[in-house]
Amino acid sequence: MSENHHHDKPGNSRRSILSWFTGAALAGSAAISALANLVFLKPRATYGQPSRYSIGKPDDFPSGTRISLDSRRVCVVREGQKLAVISTICTHLGCTVGVSDTGFACPCHGSRYDQDGNVVGGPAPKSLAWYKVSLAPNGDLEVDTNLPVDQGTYYNL
Amino acid sequence: MKLALAIASAIILIVHGLVFYDQFFHKWERHQTAYFDQARTQARNDAERAELSDRSPKIEQIIVTQFGDNRVDRCTTCHLAIDDPRFKDHFQPLKTHPYSAALGDVQRNGRWERRHKFTDFGCTVCHDGQGRGLETEYAHGNDEHWNDPLTGYVTQANWRKEFKTHLVGKEYMEANCAQCHTEENFPGTPHVNRGRELFFRTNCYGCHKIEGLSEGTLAPELSEAGHKFKIDYLWESIVDPRANLATSFMPKFNLSDEDVKCLVVFLKSRRGVNFAETSLARYRTRMSPAKAEITPEAVLNKAVPKAADLVSQGKQLFEDRACTACHKLGEKDGGIAPDLSFEGKLKDEEWLRDHFRTPRSRVPDSIMPAFRFSDSDFAALTAYLASQQAGAKLADGAEIFKTLCSRCHGDKGDGQGKTAYYLDPAPRDLTKRAFMNSKPDDRFIKSITDGVPGTSMPAWGKTLSDEQVHAVLGYVRTTFVKEPQRNLKAHANVPDANPTPTSKASVANGEATFLKRCAGCHGLKGDGKGPNSLDIVPRPRNLRNRWFVTTLNDRRALESILYGVQGTAMPSWIDYGLTVKDAADLLNYIRSLNPPPAPAPAAGKTIATAGTSPRGTE
Repeated sequence: MSENHHHDKPGNSRRSILSWFTGAALAGSAAISALANLVFLKPRATYGQPSRYSIGKPDDFPSGTRISLDSRRVCVVREGQKLAVISTICTHLGCTVGVSDTGFACPCHGSRYDQDGNVVGGPAPKSLAWYKVSLAPNGDLEVDTNLPVDQGTYYNL
Repeated sequence: MKLALAIASAIILIVHGLVFYDQFFHKWERHQTAYFDQARTQARNDAERAELSDRSPKIEQIIVTQFGDNRVDRCTTCHLAIDDPRFKDHFQPLKTHPYSAALGDVQRNGRWERRHKFTDFGCTVCHDGQGRGLETEYAHGNDEHWNDPLTGYVTQANWRKEFKTHLVGKEYMEANCAQCHTEENFPGTPHVNRGRELFFRTNCYGCHKIEGLSEGTLAPELSEAGHKFKIDYLWESIVDPRANLATSFMPKFNLSDEDVKCLVVFLKSRRGVNFAETSLARYRTRMSPAKAEITPEAVLNKAVPKAADLVSQGKQLFEDRACTACHKLGEKDGGIAPDLSFEGKLKDEEWLRDHFRTPRSRVPDSIMPAFRFSDSDFAALTAYLASQQAGAKLADGAEIFKTLCSRCHGDKGDGQGKTAYYLDPAPRDLTKRAFMNSKPDDRFIKSITDGVPGTSMPAWGKTLSDEQVHAVLGYVRTTFVKEPQRNLKAHANVPDANPTPTSKASVANGEATFLKRCAGCHGLKGDGKGPNSLDIVPRPRNLRNRWFVTTLNDRRALESILYGVQGTAMPSWIDYGLTVKDAADLLNYIRSLNPPPAPAPAAGKTIATAGTSPRGTE
């Protein structure tokens, strides 16, 4: 209403209300369009594998094992009732690291990690990521690669 | 002016708002929010609750890469709870996918474990529909142009009302089970198994080809029927073959609804594609020659329980194999192929046997497929047909004509009976006076009594007395020809027997004349399919019809060549400068096209019917 100045003739006042209204409506349309275009820029879905997926029942991973799931590029570590999922994507150039006796070893450039994924050698700049694990209602373990957790955060079965 | 502008801008704002709302606020978001809310109330601890609060609605998708060609299914965007057993009594879309031992799911420690995990197989592999769709209409395939709507759950608006109720049910999904479970008797797909058996038992395989199963050539190939057609089209085509193609000559099989359903499920399973295979694997399979086949023999030989004696076994087979879908026997009439009610009197067993094995060995232009029955089945069918000895009690010519002749020659005698379309040569048009009055009665009596070999005209003399034959001819003359017969004079210059003995020179001369004068209609091969033949009714005679040509007497052949056949397109060649000698050479050539058959096969191959033969002495 700030643009609605007082005028002598009543017709002028009505005119200015109408132009104000027209301007506001057009500006609103433009804003909605702009917003729509902005939302549109971010894809709603891509053809990558979903970040949240099931890796099977807890019984599939006996205590004391370190099982590498190649199709998902993660390693499932279980110790007693504690379970964690560690990424096997090398932080150097993205090769899939192998599970070795001392931890993880990358075949591409020789990066080496310890059991918890800390770098112990080679060109890797960062330690391996740990992902959040949860139990789905149907009893499956679910991993969400969008939710990294701190090293040493185990899921208690 | 300003007012108009203001109103226009208001409208623009509203439209923009609506489009934005439509594009960015989705039903599936509401479904997901509802799921999160309800799951939160059922959560066992705070951690779970917190985790659910973290989740916000987003497009969920299953991307299948390890099973056949890649597949993207976003069904879980709405059906978020399919793997959450707490929602088993919820309404759709938030309902748990049922667990079923029949699908291979197993229960372990009180928890079900799926055999077909959604993340491994996706959804559309079993359910069809459109995996990428995010709105009910798109995803479920309600649209009439979408070929594979949600199987067993969706019937599209343009489907015929009579069938719609039949096209709903989980059993239709068996068609998709059978994509991968191709074993012949897989217990999970009873409808497909029964449909496959019916495909053989009702003789579909005789006409239709399905890769790996049958080699019929008469009807459209069905190897990829499930890929090309919707279930309503399949159902309609089986129940009412002419609904989609007015010229179809597929018989109506009068199957029960349950049997039709089995056939539809079986045909829907013929997609020409195994879902479990990638395109590359499919290509390799197609290239490798040796492939396990299910042969008709393998299915048929165990399909029918063997009865005590040959005749009743034949009867059982006759009914089981839907013979009356084409043929007539007693009350049942398929309206396509000849009446078999008097077959035992009209044909001998040798004829029947030969005709079963290779129909074209006896009627060279027959459209009957060669069915792959076992020798013992053929023997039983032969015995059964040979037992059809009932002579008809027929009072007068009119009744005889109506009972025996009108099915082919038509009620009006115009050669347009209901089977006429399928017979080659076509039944004679008895109303054509030019023809009927140019031939002596003896000729017609002979045709009725002895039949016309190599055609579908049987030897009625075997079931009718001479008086009856004369009576029916009299009926034809008075009812259809309606014109007194002219005084026929035999042509004096036509010899009774071929005056020129056959020789290489004579045959060569005959061939030269044939190619010059006759091939235009009778065809270069003499098979009656020359370039002009399509415009001519009745069609030119097939001169490679061995049975016809060998029983044709010299006089009739020479007369037809020299003086033409009245009422047909065959001209009087003597007017075009052909001499008796030329005609004789032509006849020698035509006879040389039909050499006597090769000696009969070894005795071991003949069917043992002795002793059980029901054929009486006449």
